[in-house]
Amino acid sequence: MVVAFAAVVAAACSSGDPILDAGIDPTTPSPPQTAAPGETLPPTIPATTTTTPFADLPECPVDALGDGDDPVEITYWHGLGGESEEALKDLVAGYHDSQDRVRVRLQNQGGYNETIDKYLQSGADGRPELVLMPEYMLAQMVDSESVVPADVCVNESDFDMSAFLPRVRSAYVTGGVLWGMPFNVSGPVLYFNKKMFREAGLDPNKPPETLEEIRRYSQRLVDSGASGTGIALDSGQDNGGGWFLEQWFAKGKKLYADNANGRSAPATQVLYDDQFGVDLLSQVRKLVDDGLAAHVGANPSGYDSFLKLADPKRPAAMTIGTSAALGTLITTLDGGLVPGITSEQFGVGPMPGPATQPGVLLGGASLYVVADKADEQTAAAWDFVEYAVSAEVQSTWASRTGYVPVRSDAIDLEPLRSTYDDDPRFKVAYDQLNASTEDPSAFGPVIGPLREIRATNSNAVGAILNGGDPAAELKKAASQANRLIRNYNTLNN
Amino acid sequence: MATEHQGLEIDRVTGWRMAPRYALLVVVSVIVLFPVYTTVIASLKPGDKVLDNPLVPDSFTLDVLRNAWERGNLDRYLLNSAVVALVVTFMQVVTAVLSAYAFSFLRFPGRNVIFFAFLATLLIPIEATMVVNLQTIDSLGWKNSYQGLAVPFLATAFGTFLMRQVFLQLPRDMRDAATIDGVGHLGFLRHVAIPLVRPTIGAMALFAFLSTWNMYLWPVLVADEEEWRTVQSGLKQLAAAGIDEPNLIQAGTVIAAIPVAAVLLIFQRQLVRGLTAGAVKG
Amino acid sequence: MRDAGWQWRDLPTGLVMIAPSALVLGAFLVYPLVKTVSLGRQRCNESATRCVTTGWDQYSDVWRSEEFQQALWVTGKFTLLVVPIGLALGIALAMLADRYLRGIGIFRAIFSSTVATSVAVASLMWFFLLQPDVGVIPNIGWVEDLFGVVKEPGLLRDPGTALTSVAMSSVWAGLGFTFILVTAGLQGIPADLHEAAAIDGAGGFRRFWSVTLPMLGPTLLFVVVVLTSRAFQAYGEIDLLTDGGPDPQQSTTTVTYLVYGDSSVVRSDAGLQATTAVWLFVILLVLAALQLRGFGRRVHYGD
Repeated sequence: MVVAFAAVVAAACSSGDPILDAGIDPTTPSPPQTAAPGETLPPTIPATTTTTPFADLPECPVDALGDGDDPVEITYWHGLGGESEEALKDLVAGYHDSQDRVRVRLQNQGGYNETIDKYLQSGADGRPELVLMPEYMLAQMVDSESVVPADVCVNESDFDMSAFLPRVRSAYVTGGVLWGMPFNVSGPVLYFNKKMFREAGLDPNKPPETLEEIRRYSQRLVDSGASGTGIALDSGQDNGGGWFLEQWFAKGKKLYADNANGRSAPATQVLYDDQFGVDLLSQVRKLVDDGLAAHVGANPSGYDSFLKLADPKRPAAMTIGTSAALGTLITTLDGGLVPGITSEQFGVGPMPGPATQPGVLLGGASLYVVADKADEQTAAAWDFVEYAVSAEVQSTWASRTGYVPVRSDAIDLEPLRSTYDDDPRFKVAYDQLNASTEDPSAFGPVIGPLREIRATNSNAVGAILNGGDPAAELKKAASQANRLIRNYNTLNN
Repeated sequence: MATEHQGLEIDRVTGWRMAPRYALLVVVSVIVLFPVYTTVIASLKPGDKVLDNPLVPDSFTLDVLRNAWERGNLDRYLLNSAVVALVVTFMQVVTAVLSAYAFSFLRFPGRNVIFFAFLATLLIPIEATMVVNLQTIDSLGWKNSYQGLAVPFLATAFGTFLMRQVFLQLPRDMRDAATIDGVGHLGFLRHVAIPLVRPTIGAMALFAFLSTWNMYLWPVLVADEEEWRTVQSGLKQLAAAGIDEPNLIQAGTVIAAIPVAAVLLIFQRQLVRGLTAGAVKG
Repeated sequence: MRDAGWQWRDLPTGLVMIAPSALVLGAFLVYPLVKTVSLGRQRCNESATRCVTTGWDQYSDVWRSEEFQQALWVTGKFTLLVVPIGLALGIALAMLADRYLRGIGIFRAIFSSTVATSVAVASLMWFFLLQPDVGVIPNIGWVEDLFGVVKEPGLLRDPGTALTSVAMSSVWAGLGFTFILVTAGLQGIPADLHEAAAIDGAGGFRRFWSVTLPMLGPTLLFVVVVLTSRAFQAYGEIDLLTDGGPDPQQSTTTVTYLVYGDSSVVRSDAGLQATTAVWLFVILLVLAALQLRGFGRRVHYGD
């Protein structure tokens, strides 16, 4: 009865139009474009040009934190798990030991997605004083008009940012203003099983760097019986279905969205459904078709591709994942989860992909000081931010988690100096990030609905890896993404 | 077989004749319990043994459970869940009995229309109301409080429907006789109706308790401070915390399920006894 | 319905007794619904701080959209798996345990046990049962040999098996509820009916069809309505097990998941979300009406 009902309705009423057009006449022109679309724009690096006057931005009363008897309490929302969460707890404990004017209440929201949802759905009173937001939220945080730009606080407190990695700072800049303070910076890296490499006669010191090499290595691994399949690939939005796609476009020196990836003016359309994108995903799909890669799905746990490495029956020898997983991976394997596999067995290499351009886009998250709070709370939040990005703290943080330190002087300090010397795996993401060029494509996309676009791409990549047609799926995803952008620009500008 | 009486007499046939049915009961029980079994086994194994022989309890430790208990802050969550579930259960019984009485024993004009409206709310998906409800709770200043967690659920159409069903089965003349004796509505409810339908109230209370205990979307939305989380949202938290010990999540699952399983086990006997006592014979 | 006419003097008492329930239901179910209906004519930005009113057309547009129709189709299939299978298994278990044998209480406790599992608990249990790399079932040798899909790509990751697998976890989680209700219903059937049927020479199956099932009518009706509305509102198991995937075609994205799911296209627009949620409500209403009519003719209410 139910199905018959649904079928009748579907047959009678389906328009086949996308749901994102509902209520909107698709023939209405999108809002006026602030710049001509596409690659014709001059390659401006907006980090160097200040366009937003500070006077128009919320204030940052950094001196409001007296040495009163009652410590100021602030709340800090984050979404980190595993070893990273443990390290963050210790970081806050260290902050509490270092001073007694501020108390930070850490609240884990259960993941970035949950943090974002709750933040956006909360009114001004419900928001915390500090929130850790992933890099793809930059445009939306700016448009939410709910944060004090980090630059304003930097100015007020004369905070010295000269040691910060230029690449790290510029990622969170739009209109010349630094909005979030980079805190945990990561990059995608290749994780591979050295033991299997050796069994297959491959050099564990030379991990594959391109997709062609991935194919060759995987063939060798499978043929020799060293592993069940070559590489585990997922189609999750924070990995293979979204983030990696952006990475691969950057590595191919291709823009992902117009207006210099949305950095010279708000993006009006995405560009990833071109021949480059189609070829790229056809190549990836062929790996799966030929049994050289295992598609582990949309990776809802965030660890599905790693679990494939631990599969007792048909393990993969490689996967691509965030460098931030390194700390968790080591604790997990040293804890003995997978019989017969130790953490030393795993090597880390740069993210493989098109080799046109070195380096990667940065991932991770930044700390936003939330606006409309009492002066002393804003000051307290900033005080913690300064502590969290100090060289000493970043050194400890990076050596424990696998995140990249936000500043170059952190690697000269202990414990990070020893970690990088003793365990070069931790340094791969750092080196890779600093190898980036100055081409506009090497700066990641800043698009309001980037999170939703990634979700759309995740569906497309999932469909392709399950046998869908790359050109058709990408085209569908891109037109969906363009609708999201159009709607976003209509409602936010 | 032709002489069997369902639900009335104890079947005294024992011995081998019942063996096939016992065998069937055991097989079905094993299937039903399989997911529970594997979860419990995993939660009792040390992290490095959990991947080999997942069906065989060949090693034993309480460390994982203890770890889940500590990392998950489960004691506070259990307390919150218990308070909310008990308050909601009690109030749901009260509101349901009152309204069901009005819908079955009273004959005021408009009764059926209002009852239909009640039934219609049964169909409103709770998820469809949550965003607006959150605003309401927020404007009352009830976020992160027991009120915020409990108040939206103090009455259900389900409870009213269930209680009305049993009230309708009570003989009409009982109420008439009581009226002649000068017993008021509340007196009749307290001394006659409620004692007669106690098994149904027990069953309803059980369901109210379970469904409140098991809610998780609402607690996640309305309680964003650590100390106001319930067991379910705490579990979600634990599951999100990661895979560094997959059986940590399973251990948390076990801990979250134990109190309810215990309540059910205790209540199950009374429930079955109450139901088999035959309730009211008309 | 009862005999006799309406009595005005019952009115004040009746209203006072209904008031507490009506207040809660009104404030936390009806009022939000009305507000949601009005929100459904708007398109909003992600924090819902800016909304533009587009008009009632948004309802028909959403209904006819590709995504909604696809979700409706998935929901139909899901419901058709969960409700009949859940009901049949619930009745079967209840019949099996409806005997006074030594130790039957233990079996009844076991059969009702799944009511003690929340969606989160049940889904996490099934997740570790089915997870292809570290899960229990895929690593049982002979199961993997017989059904390769449990390992590659995994039951929850294959577009052909994902929906059925989620449905099975849902059936399992709802089994205790159905069992308890049907058991209660069975015990409400007067024994003389069975005796009379037995004297008439009716065998076990005949009695099941002609006595047990009709007398269970009201219970079954209730169970079916609840299971159907639960199936239409299933969210937690999809969220924890499949995230609405796998693709192509978002094979486990039901209407409810379309409204709230992490990977849903409408989730970030409170207006579109409201439109879709209102349609969900309307569908449930229509279904309930159909079920009441369909069953109404065949059910024996015993009053």
